[in-house]
Amino acid sequence: MATYVFTAEQLAQIEAIKSRYPSVQSATMPVLWLAQDAFGHVDADVQQLVADTLGLPASHVHGVATFYTQYYKEKKGKHVLDVCTCLSCHISGGYDMLHHLENRLGIKAGETTPDGLFTIQSVECLGACGYAPMMQITNDVFVNELTPEKLDQVIDTLKKGGSPDFEPIGLVNNRETA
Amino acid sequence: MAEIFIDNKRFEYDQPTKVLQFILDQGLDLPHFCYHPALSIPANCRQCYVEAGLPVFDREKNAYELDANGDRVIRWFPKLQTACSLDATDGMVIKTHVTSELVRRGQKDVLEFILINHPLDCPICDQAGECPLQEQTYKYGPEGSRFEHKKVHKPKRIQLGPRVVLDAERCINCTRCVRFTQEISKTHQLTIVQRGDNNYPMTAPGHVFDDPYSMNTVDICPVGALTASDFRFKARVWEMASTPSIDLTNGKGCSVDLWTRDNLVLRITPRFNPAVNGHWMPDSGRAAFATLNHDRVDKPLVRLDGEAIPTSWNNALLTFTERVTAANRIAVVGSPHASTEDNYVFKRFFEAAGKGAAVFVPHVIPGSGDGFLLSDDQAPNATGARLLGLAETQAAALAAEVTAADLVVVLNDDLVGRGVLRAEDLAGKTITFASNHNATTAAADLVVPVTNGAEHVGTYVNVDGRAQRTIPAKETSRTDRRLNLEMSSGRLDTFGTRFDNWVSDLNRIDCVPAWEFLTEASQELGTGLYYESARDVLAEIAARIDAFAGISYERMDDERGIALLATNETVSA
Ligand code: SF4
Ligand code: FES
Ligand code: FES
Repeated sequence: MATYVFTAEQLAQIEAIKSRYPSVQSATMPVLWLAQDAFGHVDADVQQLVADTLGLPASHVHGVATFYTQYYKEKKGKHVLDVCTCLSCHISGGYDMLHHLENRLGIKAGETTPDGLFTIQSVECLGACGYAPMMQITNDVFVNELTPEKLDQVIDTLKKGGSPDFEPIGLVNNRETA
Repeated sequence: MAEIFIDNKRFEYDQPTKVLQFILDQGLDLPHFCYHPALSIPANCRQCYVEAGLPVFDREKNAYELDANGDRVIRWFPKLQTACSLDATDGMVIKTHVTSELVRRGQKDVLEFILINHPLDCPICDQAGECPLQEQTYKYGPEGSRFEHKKVHKPKRIQLGPRVVLDAERCINCTRCVRFTQEISKTHQLTIVQRGDNNYPMTAPGHVFDDPYSMNTVDICPVGALTASDFRFKARVWEMASTPSIDLTNGKGCSVDLWTRDNLVLRITPRFNPAVNGHWMPDSGRAAFATLNHDRVDKPLVRLDGEAIPTSWNNALLTFTERVTAANRIAVVGSPHASTEDNYVFKRFFEAAGKGAAVFVPHVIPGSGDGFLLSDDQAPNATGARLLGLAETQAAALAAEVTAADLVVVLNDDLVGRGVLRAEDLAGKTITFASNHNATTAAADLVVPVTNGAEHVGTYVNVDGRAQRTIPAKETSRTDRRLNLEMSSGRLDTFGTRFDNWVSDLNRIDCVPAWEFLTEASQELGTGLYYESARDVLAEIAARIDAFAGISYERMDDERGIALLATNETVSA
């Protein structure tokens, strides 16, 4: 079992996060983010670390972590392809996109390629229904109005070490402004 | 006094109340799952829908606006409201399923949703027969389902903790169990994990649901998702009889129900008593069902050449009276574990014999209480013994007393097992009344088997001075459910016969209440005690001892126990 600890700097960041909210409970989500950035995932041990650091019940942190697909409860591939299969995307072919990726990468949703490069996940609505079907890459870039060809391009770009650009639809990068 | 109209009937209320609670308080029915009167209100099941409206008030005329018929004009809320979270307000008009087609439709549709992924495995589910989901689906649910796709599968038979098993597929995510651990037991051990149709309650990874109150979640779970490890698949609820009683494993004396079948107590559940335990009880009290059934002293035992031999009641009575007559000095040890009736007759019997006064040793483990439903006092009736005038003594003093005496008589108290005396202290000169085999019975020369709280009527006074009583739930060899009209009967008790193969007559213990044996002994010795029944004994206690004045079984039943101590303060245990 790996042991995780926050550095002094991270602990200072956590204090800063806590000071933004009237109750510690509210700090759960941003601190889980911080932990995921630090360790690459929030598995059971990291969840326990977050709970202990914040002085919250482990059950609470676990409940929050499992609620969001964006928190990785285990080690994932370098690029996590979150394909939306919720209502709007489903109707517009979300599952076809998912299956295309599965065939292309030779893994099923929820699995990681042997080279550790890609994980595919089928996720719930990401709030971009207007551009369905869509997917998000590693909790970051949204790729909209997917087609099999577009997916192939994205995979190629990622394999070459690049990253697809944000598409100009007026969305901002929430993670950076938060 | 504010008024509220429910299905065209006018009701009055004076305390602020939620509409659902008010409806339930009137004895009316409104289906609901997530609401529990002792927990916060999340309004997540959506089953308690009602139509609600308020009369239009004309400020200028300072009167309600009336329509052409002279009736108040009602402004209805645009959508159905959840009655559990809706505050009653003066003049509010409510329509339930009784008068509203819309509400009936709403209830049906919500149930159809709730049941989409429910396994509908009632035939093998322990909750069947006492399941709000099953009952409400029968009463208010749809005939079938329009959802014909494959159901979502979730974890089954998950041992959440030592005493609670989860079947996540049956769960309707009402969060009652989670709220219980957050708000009542405060261990915060449960949470809802995942989301959408994958939801279910769980502990954090690596954590165990070992909450000392964990089994209350089994009671409040409105479906069969949470079941008790020690009761799973033991009996269908309609085969059992339930009898109101009290928890005799602790000084708190929680009000409970004993569930019996074939004269075995199969489970113990809390009975609502706002003056003692609210809706809850500790897991430890529930585990007592095993001691009520097993390892019982069945028939009197005499020690011959170091061996305990079963003997007849005649011989037991003879041995008892002979030993008492022959003794010069008797150590008379009453019991905080025995009923008030038993302690009283015990004390009087030896007063008449004049060879020693009754004492008792409290059974207190300092620091074992939790300030909630577990007190440091491990015995259900120390206060009763005290109020009866039994002298309170401690281990050392009792040991001295026992050494000086040539006969020791112990009333159902495992003094050796709980470290008050040593077996050597008792060897060769001890008679004990006992319901279970223990270290004290092993040291005694004569063991008189006596009934326990599941077999007799008995009054017990808890640490706070509240007198409550037990009602017999299981028959002994000497009692009969059909003759004792106070005993409740389950379906099998009523319709089974000794000759069919689905009931068993094996589980009757040959024992009597201690007061009954002592009455007979008194007759034998001519010391003049005579009681027909426990009721007789209690009547005499009420008449002779001020602290018990006015006490009766009827009052204890009607008032959920009687506070015997004038002050509200806790008796120092
Ligand atoms: S297990 Fe029972 S009490 Fe807990 S959320 Fe599910 S249905 Fe409600
Ligand atoms: S349904 Fe896919 S983004 Fe909303
Ligand atoms: S009881 Fe009202 S919403 Fe559940």
